[in-house]
Amino acid sequence: MDELLWPDGTPRPVAAELMALVDAIGRGELAERQRVAEVDILTMGITFTVYSDGANIDRAWPFDIIPRIIDGTEWAAIEAGLIQRLSALNMFIDDLYNEQRVIADAVLPREVLDGSENFRPQCRGLHPPLGIWAHICGSDLVRDDDGRMYVLEDNLRVPSGVSYVLENRAIAKRAFAEVFARQSIRPVDGYTDELNRVLGSLTSTTQPTIAVLTPGVFNSAYFEHSFLAQRMGAELVEGEDLIVCDDQVFMHTIDGLERVDVIYRRIDDLYLDPEAFLAESAIGVPGLMRAWRAGNVAIANAPGAGVADDKVMYAWVPDLIRYYLGAEPLIDNVPTLRCMYPGERAEVLDNLRDLVLKPANESGGYGIVIGDRASDAELEAVAEAIEADPRNWVAQPILSLSTVPTLIDGELESRHVDLRPFILTGVESYVTPGGLTRVALPKGSLVVNSSQGGGSKDTWILDPLPAADGGQDR
Amino acid sequence: MALLARVADRILWGARYVERAEDTARIIRSYADLLVDLPTRLSGGWEPLLALTGNHQPGLAGEHDIVEYLVADTTNPGSIRATVGRARENLRTTREVVPREGWYTLNSLWQYVESEAERAVGRRTRDRFLGRVIEESRRLDGVLESTMTRSEPFWMWRLGRLIERADMTTRVVGVRAAALLELRRRGGGAVEQYPEVQWMGALRSVSALQMYQRAVSGPIEGTDVVRFLLFHEHFPRSVRACLDEIRSLLGLLPEPIVVLERLEVVESVLMSCDLVTDDGVALDAAMDRVQSAIAEFTEAIGSRYLSIAADGADLALRAPSAPTGTSQFDTTRPSR
Repeated sequence: MDELLWPDGTPRPVAAELMALVDAIGRGELAERQRVAEVDILTMGITFTVYSDGANIDRAWPFDIIPRIIDGTEWAAIEAGLIQRLSALNMFIDDLYNEQRVIADAVLPREVLDGSENFRPQCRGLHPPLGIWAHICGSDLVRDDDGRMYVLEDNLRVPSGVSYVLENRAIAKRAFAEVFARQSIRPVDGYTDELNRVLGSLTSTTQPTIAVLTPGVFNSAYFEHSFLAQRMGAELVEGEDLIVCDDQVFMHTIDGLERVDVIYRRIDDLYLDPEAFLAESAIGVPGLMRAWRAGNVAIANAPGAGVADDKVMYAWVPDLIRYYLGAEPLIDNVPTLRCMYPGERAEVLDNLRDLVLKPANESGGYGIVIGDRASDAELEAVAEAIEADPRNWVAQPILSLSTVPTLIDGELESRHVDLRPFILTGVESYVTPGGLTRVALPKGSLVVNSSQGGGSKDTWILDPLPAADGGQDR
Repeated sequence: MALLARVADRILWGARYVERAEDTARIIRSYADLLVDLPTRLSGGWEPLLALTGNHQPGLAGEHDIVEYLVADTTNPGSIRATVGRARENLRTTREVVPREGWYTLNSLWQYVESEAERAVGRRTRDRFLGRVIEESRRLDGVLESTMTRSEPFWMWRLGRLIERADMTTRVVGVRAAALLELRRRGGGAVEQYPEVQWMGALRSVSALQMYQRAVSGPIEGTDVVRFLLFHEHFPRSVRACLDEIRSLLGLLPEPIVVLERLEVVESVLMSCDLVTDDGVALDAAMDRVQSAIAEFTEAIGSRYLSIAADGADLALRAPSAPTGTSQFDTTRPSR
């Protein structure tokens, strides 16, 4: 289905204003607005980095000016579902590193935990403030032909993309100023303040020093690390800027060493601290885990939080919601077959062509095989991989993914999209109104990752205008 | 709010790169202007321009090759294109500290330079290109001037600008002296007909002609020009004025004593410069001494503020890190 248009091509109610404008201005003007948006992106230096042939290439952020629009009432339900999901996931992570009730009560088989690559034994027995491990989560949502939204995966390690949500909006506001003026579209700019609040709440220090820890200027998400530091007034640090003395973290400033209270780390667990994890890590901070364990620095997301974003663990999330919250999930998982169970495995192997096959621990869309697009040889290889390591494979039906009209060579064509909202969990929870809509630009493609030819769109959560203000031009 | 040593390093060097690009543009422009005025026999060609901009590239000759090397050649770390590129990289990686508008300004200059540098080698488009580099560099300063809180990052930016500017002015004076000698050797008495044109060129290459004329009424004369460029208290590109502002900036930074000591060396080397302009050799050598003193002063700033090892004793715990890689700029440029 299309997010903006009925099957007959007329606009759905959420898109009426926008499409009326699009028709009124004509394709030439629309293309001109797209061009201006692209110039803005270049001038503002909104980039992402791709690795190719060992080189790092800074590319302009791909953006399509036609937004994806979601009705405010539908969004309220999604928001509640995401908050519910994150409450359960945080309780789950805290449980895994402590009592492991979920295993004792036979909700999660022990072998799933045993096979988890992202479980960090170094974190056993730890209780981060408020019991929260995943303060920042980016969950990917897709809409299938049945019109329902499903959670496709949760990113609990170092999810990225939120900076582009804010920048896309800044650009869309210029491209469609008249539509914004006539409608009630929820602003997204509050994210960085909310993030700042969550990070600040992790320490008892008043006026804490908050630092964003980046792997460095060549990292693919460096733009975002820099963006978030700017918007929060935080320091942007690299591993070598930090030093641990007496289990406290300091940064090297021109005034000497200065204490750091909270670290928003954008480095993967294994590279965080060569003393605790990979000894060869050159981007980490030796002793950081000691300081964290001693309670002298807060780290978000907590090391070890990634245990719950394993694509196999994912299959249990609905059960986890029931177990920890005693409630039915408000947003569905995509039905998932778990290859570790012989029955489900057989079903997978018999129906490879009709399934998406996912390895447990890859991200960025790598390693995923889409059955109906794979060659016989690829399917054979994936069948062998599943037989060899069933714990690490799951399979899902091939969803059709909804579409949004997208400007391609001056004409509007349907392209498939997904949506990544960002969920913050602290004393209170916050969900970005909308999130990052990623769009697969090649015709028919379902691959939305920006590293693989995906583009992006602004996402509008549309509320009805207050009656008194209805229809007035501002 | 504290400033990370690594960030301070990037800002200071970012400022130097921008100033370098601007000064190089101005020097090329005034040099081209000067050549037009001089009889070919006396001009000495384009080669002195290499030394004038602190570049040294044996084997290069002729207007096209030399201008291309200074403007567009990415393999020359001192070319306008390379310095703008490095400045942009330094600002890109300090965006949490430098105001957005500043980044936009430099980013758009970089886009312009990337797309136009090759074309700027030709005479017809050159002047416009160089003018734009100069203007955008000044606009960037204006943006930061009016949007940046007066605190450590701003002071680091100013320091970078002033250090590079002082250095460039000594270069203009030194090379002018050397060129004068060369001309005298080549042209015999004829050069005496054009000394004011030569010195006018020197003044123009640091945008000083008009201010000089107001300060020193009367005909343009070598000794006065050198005195003006080196010692004038209030002309913003004179070496003295740059050093004075550097001194007051250092007063704002934490514990500057070691660095101030090195600044005093620069000041005393400058004060000891002889103003006898008919002895080009002595003047040239004096400028070399000032430049070396500035380079040592820069190193003192580096080890006091910009390097992580500056925290000294605390680092017993940890092996000293390599330099951050942003400042391998040729602080000790090859001598001529």
